[in-house]
Amino acid sequence: MWYHKPVINEELLQSLPNLKIVASSGVGIDHLDLKLLSSYGVKLSNTPFIVSTDTADMGMALMLASSRRLVEGYQMAVSPDTEYFPADWLGDELSGATLGIVGMGTIGYKVAERAKAFEMKILYHNRNQRNKEEESAVGAIYCKKIDALLQQSDFVLLSVNLTPQTHKLIGKRELELMKPTATLINISRGLVVDQDALVEALQNKVIKAAALDVTYPEPLPRDHPLLKLKNVIITPHIGSATKKTRRLMMENMIESIQAGLTGLPIPNEVL
Amino acid sequence: MSKKVQAIYLWWHKPVIDQELLQSLPNLKVIANSGVGMDHLDLKLVASFGVKMANAPRAVSSSTADTRMALLLASARRLVEGYHIAISSGMEYCEADFLGVEVTGATLGVTGMDRIGYKIALRAKAFEMNILYHNRTRRKEQEEQAVGTTYCEKVDSLLQQADFVMVVVSLTPQTHKLIGKRELELMKHTATLIKISRGAVIDQEALVTALQTGVIRAAALDVTYPEPRPRDHALLKLKNVIITPHLGIKTHKATYMITEEAVENLLATLNGLSIPIEVLPS
Repeated sequence: MWYHKPVINEELLQSLPNLKIVASSGVGIDHLDLKLLSSYGVKLSNTPFIVSTDTADMGMALMLASSRRLVEGYQMAVSPDTEYFPADWLGDELSGATLGIVGMGTIGYKVAERAKAFEMKILYHNRNQRNKEEESAVGAIYCKKIDALLQQSDFVLLSVNLTPQTHKLIGKRELELMKPTATLINISRGLVVDQDALVEALQNKVIKAAALDVTYPEPLPRDHPLLKLKNVIITPHIGSATKKTRRLMMENMIESIQAGLTGLPIPNEVL
Repeated sequence: MSKKVQAIYLWWHKPVIDQELLQSLPNLKVIANSGVGMDHLDLKLVASFGVKMANAPRAVSSSTADTRMALLLASARRLVEGYHIAISSGMEYCEADFLGVEVTGATLGVTGMDRIGYKIALRAKAFEMNILYHNRTRRKEQEEQAVGTTYCEKVDSLLQQADFVMVVVSLTPQTHKLIGKRELELMKHTATLIKISRGAVIDQEALVTALQTGVIRAAALDVTYPEPRPRDHALLKLKNVIITPHLGIKTHKATYMITEEAVENLLATLNGLSIPIEVLPS
């Protein structure tokens, strides 16, 4: 399945008595009912590690584009009405700024590796603390409580899985803890953020800006306020959208399917 | 008033330093430039009036390196195009074949390995990129190893191997039209060209043709001023081009640091000390 289609529900499973395996593209499995699949004896696989570097790259791309006002700048540069570039039109630097990574899994860690080269200070919040070597390799400081991370960060990047615990992890309270000069970057899932609270926070300058590769739903209804805010960059869930990675994902999925059909152990099986 | 002027701090190429101005300011001792580019100045003319020139290169390097990476990433992942699709009134779903190219593990070719080039290499290394560079002079082996770069004596070799070509040189008579039809054709057709500062280091017409016919995949250009001239309309309209308004040093921090460095230079000269960063006509 690609982009969560077809929808796997009771009806579909009943109509396909010989279905053995569902191979899902990407790493997220929040769109699937694992118990339901299991009850029909259908196996499930995903493509967990292949997407990591591309998604981390996307996180960096969004953070850079937002801080340097790249999209706004592009519009200014190509507009036929622009006569000069105002001298006081400025962005913010990454070097010396603090990045708070929420969710230090494979993707979060790769973001940290990249951000370190931009001379950023790195804080992270995770269910479990990483070991000392891993921390010192990227100069990351653990924040046991997310509040501390939110209060100190200039950029807050979300790279958690969507689970019942991370659903609306970032809501009104968390946004108010953030600095008014801070930017929120989301490369995880739209539902990790309370979207209505985010709109309000952006409109009232509770935080400075947001850059989102994911929303809920995808795509957003065309009249949604997030689409109109000047301080928001939205991209259409392209975190893993590169030729090479998509090809590798496809190869992985086919491998899993073939194994599933022949009764062999399935690579990247989700249990 | 004009007899009192001893120093000029240039901001965005203003005021224009010409014969007339220099003649009207007999006590002018030093001109400090904001930023690095010097191609808007006639260095020989300035020197002939006994006026010293100073640059502010240190302040800009991190900020400029960041901009280059921002352009590289935005172009590779089609960020601006993606944004327009995401907010467009017609979007019901995003095409599954909207794809960009990988940055991690790709080959970056940098023409020019000065301070800025070096900072770019540090950043690119964190993306596990394979880094090639071409420079007038080769850097020391330790420096090369520190950022994992490989020297290309001939720029052709760099152009043929790179997935991303970053042009870092400043404009001089030698670098005029450094990248033309021939160089673009040497590049991979999947490659991206990244350039800060318009100016004739790139043959504009050749670039437009190359982008329109798929000779190269895309380009990202950070330009110093708006270009409403007709021949540039083509460049502005191409989907595979990102143009930005001289983001290179446009941050609060860089602006502050440039001014600090320039003032340091101005004061040094006026106090009869040697300028920390003096520019001499070559």
